[in-house]
Amino acid sequence: MIEHLLHINHVCKHFGGNVAVSDISFSVDEKQIFGLIGPNGAGKTTLFNCISGFFPVTSGDIIFDNKIINKLRPDEVCHLGMARTWQRVKPLGSLTVLENVMIGAFSITNATRKAEEIAFEQLGLVGLSDYATKPAGSLSIGLKKKLELARVLATRPKMLLLDEICGGLNLTETDTILDIIREVRRKGATIVFIEHDMKAVTAICDWIVVLNSGEKLAEGRPEEITRNPDVIEAYLGGGQNA
Amino acid sequence: MKQVTIIAIIAGIAAVLPLVTGESPYFIGVMISVLMMAALSSAWNILGGYAGQYSFGHAAYFGAGAYTTLIMISTFNFNPLGGMVAGIIVACIIALVTGSIVFRLRGHYFGLASIAVAEIVRLSALNFEFTGGAQGILLSDVSLWGVDLNSKLPFYYGMLLVLVVSLGITLYMRSSKTGFYLQAIREDQDAAASLGINLSFYKNKALLISAALTSVLGSLYAVYIRFIDTSAVLDLRLSIEIILTAIIGGVGTLWGPAVGAVLLVPLAEVLRSNVIGEALVKHGIVSEKSGLGIFFKDNLAHAHVLVYGIITVLCILYLPKGILGLFRRTK
Amino acid sequence: MLISPWRSIMFFLQSLLSGILTGGVYALAGIGMSLVFGVMNISNFAHGDLMMLGMYMAYFAFTLLHIDPYLSLVLIIPTAFLFGFVLEKVFIHRIISHPHQNQILLTIGLGLIMSNSALLGFTSDPKILTTSYSSSAVHIAGGISLSVPLLLSFVITCGITGVLFLFLSKTTTGLALWATSQNREAAQLMGINVAKMSALAFGLGTALAATAGALIAPTYYIHPMAGHTFLLKAFTICVLGGLGSVVGAGVGGVIIGVVESMSSTYLSSDWKDVVVFIIFLMVLLFRPQGLFGKKGEQ
Repeated sequence: MIEHLLHINHVCKHFGGNVAVSDISFSVDEKQIFGLIGPNGAGKTTLFNCISGFFPVTSGDIIFDNKIINKLRPDEVCHLGMARTWQRVKPLGSLTVLENVMIGAFSITNATRKAEEIAFEQLGLVGLSDYATKPAGSLSIGLKKKLELARVLATRPKMLLLDEICGGLNLTETDTILDIIREVRRKGATIVFIEHDMKAVTAICDWIVVLNSGEKLAEGRPEEITRNPDVIEAYLGGGQNA
Repeated sequence: MKQVTIIAIIAGIAAVLPLVTGESPYFIGVMISVLMMAALSSAWNILGGYAGQYSFGHAAYFGAGAYTTLIMISTFNFNPLGGMVAGIIVACIIALVTGSIVFRLRGHYFGLASIAVAEIVRLSALNFEFTGGAQGILLSDVSLWGVDLNSKLPFYYGMLLVLVVSLGITLYMRSSKTGFYLQAIREDQDAAASLGINLSFYKNKALLISAALTSVLGSLYAVYIRFIDTSAVLDLRLSIEIILTAIIGGVGTLWGPAVGAVLLVPLAEVLRSNVIGEALVKHGIVSEKSGLGIFFKDNLAHAHVLVYGIITVLCILYLPKGILGLFRRTK
Repeated sequence: MLISPWRSIMFFLQSLLSGILTGGVYALAGIGMSLVFGVMNISNFAHGDLMMLGMYMAYFAFTLLHIDPYLSLVLIIPTAFLFGFVLEKVFIHRIISHPHQNQILLTIGLGLIMSNSALLGFTSDPKILTTSYSSSAVHIAGGISLSVPLLLSFVITCGITGVLFLFLSKTTTGLALWATSQNREAAQLMGINVAKMSALAFGLGTALAATAGALIAPTYYIHPMAGHTFLLKAFTICVLGGLGSVVGAGVGGVIIGVVESMSSTYLSSDWKDVVVFIIFLMVLLFRPQGLFGKKGEQ
């Protein structure tokens, strides 16, 4: 029997009277590339925030690596092996690119030397080696996204939560990121993607869950999802969920 | 040139300075003030400049050191070093309590809460008997293993030592995991947390180090001046002055606070001692008896705070990263 | 020592009523600060010094122009508004998107300039504004006496608060200001000139602070550092009421006034400030959004 690495179990999240996420359940297996899609306001980022420890869930359980992680702080979640990126990139602006990635590396080592090594390695992986000494704040958006990726990879996560990592990137940049992701999966990590770009999603995901207005609309393999009439309707008709 | 070398050189120069300048008590007194403010701001800078948490109530730790030391000496017959250690303990307790309250808060709330805590400490010291109330505490007799505590020199070197330690700690931290983590916290707390940084732990770590150093300075001050009251060691103005010194020199840089102190303390001294006014009169630019002359004589001495205010406004508007910030690359 | 229950009830009511009256003036200062915070997201550390300037304005209006302090509000309010408006345009405006700490430091700097200019100009000798009714009191049932100046201040405060409410809810500009204080980005998207709203808010905040100062001038020592005592109290009121909530600041002001009065009566006047600050910390700890707060700044 295959153990699920991540199990979302009837998770609900309310903000006062506003229901952001309602009774969502799904499971992610090891080494899967998992897609979480849906129109704007569907609750994807909220769900990510709950999973990664930034929001407490209103009800339900989140089980990662056989542990219930609902009550954990974000840094504790990271130490369990789950790392996330941000939809609106958060470069540590006045630190250099290398220093940014070192911050990630420090979660698995205490020595500055070692952190530097790991950081250089990740910069090489994503192709940012030439920018190592540049202030992170000075990078273009595409490079900042790569930096976010390098930074979380330095934490050597079992699972990566990527929030619209391809957002704002052109075709070439998107392809590069997708190649890096495939490489990361090949090395043993599991990836959960929030993504808007349907082409990227269908190109790389093994399995997709579709959210709409906080509820699970559909789930299945990419080919099934793209042909699902409810999903198509949600994207074409439901774009006004601000 | 490595920073450690620079610290060593400057410390060396400062160490021989009193011997070279003929030990004029006035000059040494001013230098003590400069060193003390430089050390205070450097200590504050660990939390404020590197971790990005601006404590507006740092006087609480200065006062804690000062009051605890004098109380231990006069009531319990401790020697000054013992009093200093006791001061550190008290300051750390206050720091832990403060940290547990304010570090959950962000933005405006944090600064305001730090002031509230400091004011509670001040008002408590003002109202309790054992802290001398409004009269403060006067130290009559103090000795330490044969060191002549009537001379200014021990305090000069004491302040210098704390400054060097403060700079040393800052330097060490900067290239260590703690330093990196604090800077990450300063840049973006959410990102920091998502990368495995226990925000509360590291903020408190920075605060404790900062509070301990500040407390030691308070202890030194108390035994140096032999008299303290709440307006001297627990006032909001002191907290603000510490921050201004760091800002003007350059927050988050190693030498910024020291630079700020070297500029501001002598400036305040010059204004306070009416050197400018007297010079103007002496050179006949302003007549002693004229309205302007009398105005200068009476008021320029009080003007140093006004000048501080003007400098602050100009600094925030035009030089927010301080003087050293102009040269600063990323760190 | 037996105090008759009647006497202790009267004692309590006296304390309560004095507190409410003083609280009214505090509320005015708090509302000014809350408005600035709501519209501009700035903690104005010069607020206390603006109150101090109001005190001096009332003093000079009285001693030089022989105008009663309450009547001099007619002059003080527009002057203070203009002063605040100019301050915003020249200084505050520039740092509106700067980090919080720098904003606070700028306002601290401005405050230092104000209080120390006052020190240079007016010396540190406390001035006393004594009107013919400064020490009069009105006696109401059961031996409770209410100070006339406090009573007048309270009435005027209610009046001003009422006018402010009408302004914010019935006039176009007022509604725009209100909208901006609730959500600056949304207001901007709706086409409201938020820069103008900021200047307006700061002008109003200053006017309210100065008014509060003028109202208490007959009952306090007037000196250049007088504003500092009120600064933290004003912040406590704002945080208690909910940063950005005008109603909250009003309610908060009265609560703090009562708390202070009660602490003074039943504990000692030395500790009343400590009680206020402890309340401040409790609010921050347990309900940082205050009573009526809208912004969740965690």
